[in-house]
Amino acid sequence: MSIAAPGQLNVNESPSWGSRSVDCFEKLEQIGEGTYGQVYMAKEIKTGEIVALKKIRMDNEREGFPITAIREIKILKKLHHENVIKLKEIVTSPGPEKDEQGRPDGNKYKGGIYMVFEYMDHDLTGLADRPGMRFTVPQIKCYMRQLLTGLHYCHVNQVLHRDIKGSNLLIDNEGNLKLADFGLARSFSNDHNANLTNRVITLWYRPPELLLGTTKYGPAVDMWSVGCIFAELLHGKPIFPGKDEPEQLNKIFELCGAPDEVNWPGVSKTPWYNQFKPTRPMKRRLREVFRHFDRHALELLERMLTLDPAQRITAKDALDAEYFWTDPLPCDPKSLPKYESSHEFQTKKKRQQQRQNEEMAKRQKMQHPQQHTRLPPIQQPGQHAQMRSGPNQNLHGSQPQVAAGPSHHYGKPRGPSGGPGRYPPSGNPGGGYNHPNRGGQGGGGYGSGPYPPQGRGAPYGSSGMPGGGPRGGGGSGYGVGAPTYPQQGGPYGGSGTGRGSNMMGGNRNQQYGWQQ
Amino acid sequence: MSANFWTSSHYKHLLDQEDVDMVNPLDKERGVTLEDFKLIKMHMTNYILRLAQQVKVRQRVVATAVTYMRRVYTRKSMAEYDPRLVAPTCLYLASKAEESTVQARLLVFYIKKLYADDKYRYEIKDILEMEMKILEALDYYLVVFHPYRSLSQFLQDASLNDLSMTQLTWGVINDTYKMDLILVHPPHLIALACIYIASVFREKDTTAWFEELRVDMNVVKNISMEILDFYESNRMFTEDRINTALQKLTLRP
Repeated sequence: MSIAAPGQLNVNESPSWGSRSVDCFEKLEQIGEGTYGQVYMAKEIKTGEIVALKKIRMDNEREGFPITAIREIKILKKLHHENVIKLKEIVTSPGPEKDEQGRPDGNKYKGGIYMVFEYMDHDLTGLADRPGMRFTVPQIKCYMRQLLTGLHYCHVNQVLHRDIKGSNLLIDNEGNLKLADFGLARSFSNDHNANLTNRVITLWYRPPELLLGTTKYGPAVDMWSVGCIFAELLHGKPIFPGKDEPEQLNKIFELCGAPDEVNWPGVSKTPWYNQFKPTRPMKRRLREVFRHFDRHALELLERMLTLDPAQRITAKDALDAEYFWTDPLPCDPKSLPKYESSHEFQTKKKRQQQRQNEEMAKRQKMQHPQQHTRLPPIQQPGQHAQMRSGPNQNLHGSQPQVAAGPSHHYGKPRGPSGGPGRYPPSGNPGGGYNHPNRGGQGGGGYGSGPYPPQGRGAPYGSSGMPGGGPRGGGGSGYGVGAPTYPQQGGPYGGSGTGRGSNMMGGNRNQQYGWQQ
Repeated sequence: MSANFWTSSHYKHLLDQEDVDMVNPLDKERGVTLEDFKLIKMHMTNYILRLAQQVKVRQRVVATAVTYMRRVYTRKSMAEYDPRLVAPTCLYLASKAEESTVQARLLVFYIKKLYADDKYRYEIKDILEMEMKILEALDYYLVVFHPYRSLSQFLQDASLNDLSMTQLTWGVINDTYKMDLILVHPPHLIALACIYIASVFREKDTTAWFEELRVDMNVVKNISMEILDFYESNRMFTEDRINTALQKLTLRP
């Protein structure tokens, strides 16, 4: 390694991380806010590239560079995968002290440290919570497969994510899903002998072994979270919205049955078993409750939501599940529609401008268990047309399901695209699923929902989906015409807005309409 | 920590000996020779070790801290990055990276206890500020692989995993951190060289075992020779020589 002479720049090397200032970026908009600090959408001035800047809060740090950031950086530096968010660089921000004293170093870091990530348009929760949003089966399979692929990569590299939840699954307008927020992640050794903290993973997605106090655990903890997300995608809302740990466990037992030495050898040895063991016998009701799910989906879900972590399916085996290899196959990410970007923070900001009913909708995305109010489960959602129930839709009453996406108009990195008109023109433009009582409309089996992706030919037909590609090539044959969807010409086709199409199932002819 | 050393940044960043042995121009101007450079790094290794014994962290943390310190000085001058601050800061950072966090105030406390000399005196804010500079100098690459990991496997495989061999080899590995081997060679080869030395010392016949390994024995023997050379010259490293070397850093060119 050559050392540049003092005052000389080694132009052949990319700048060392941390050597550049945040001034190389122009902040466009705040898109997130968390305990760690703010997240901004920003543009690199030199290249015009859109990135996400995550500020590492330093002001309250008595112990220097936060260990959570160290963990995240350490892990992200070694993970390179298309389904894992890419940390591009770290930049610093000169604090005000520097200006006063004019020193080049001094308090250089007081101003803050930023992690520079590739920009992603959505997170899964934000996307799913868009009023009017409903995912198709191939879309859910596509997201689930990417989630599992990314997670499998992490696990192979001995990294536990430990905070898998919808808001940490970022999705771009190419349909790519990436795992993000590795702030709770850590590496593990295969023997599971290290004592790890059990106070990880957002409550609703936390597996029973952690809730029972286990401190020796492995990748199975992430798989439970994946199961929760999977069920949530199919069910339309979170399946275990516990208020606190005891309630969380209880909700799990109610669905998955009570653990005992038969279905979970060793469970009685877990630290808090005696404290939390159910007082009455509880049967596993998963199959019964979700009987309307597709058979393969239910099969896979059963294996993900297995109480005993040792018997829970691994990411690798899950990828081999029949579910991903039977029609309808997972679609090609590129074939997915592009949506107006949906970030939790932005939607929050929009609240003020929006009607109160929508305000309620946004609040749900704050992922605070207590604040989460959703409709009762969709009774018969039909396995192909799952969506999140629009929050508090009973408040909307008969309001047409105007997409409530944020309306910022910064240029998207990706150019205009004819909106993928993958939703059949006959699609219900706002009735049906926005009604609290969607059960009547969902209708159950294939083809009876408002947006049957298959069986009508239009939505996925053009991409030859039902042909059933060979294993291993799942999704092949879709890429071709994306993102223009030549045969479609559906309602969004050629709409040519700079933001791509949006509002699946919303007011189809009003791409801009939601702002009024 | 990563599953695979060969795909790690550690492997990709292994350096040639001549790059490691390049004294920074700023230090050279002050009359720091290669000998001084090595001496100071060795001294700082000892400093990190002594400090680590006070705050009671695992050997692994020490090894990572020393590696950070040595990596820093492949890029930065000692004149600008005072080794007496860099050493404890590397320990501080390594303790976080290796999940054995040590509070900065504790380090400051023990620094004062260990060294009465004012030149060693640094406060918490100095450490926190240097931490950021070190992160930058390391380009935020914080994962380090160590020979310890492969050691027990090797010893077991060679049926040499008795207490005396394990302890001796472990000790030799510890000593390798007084040199720059970790920046130049893959850790498993360092482990093999240490086993080689220990087995010769304990008069164990390992020829057959080494022959069966698919490693370049020339490299292993070269590393072993380097270690032995170091033991040889180590005796001449006196406190005086170290102080003289450190003194040079404060000279104006």
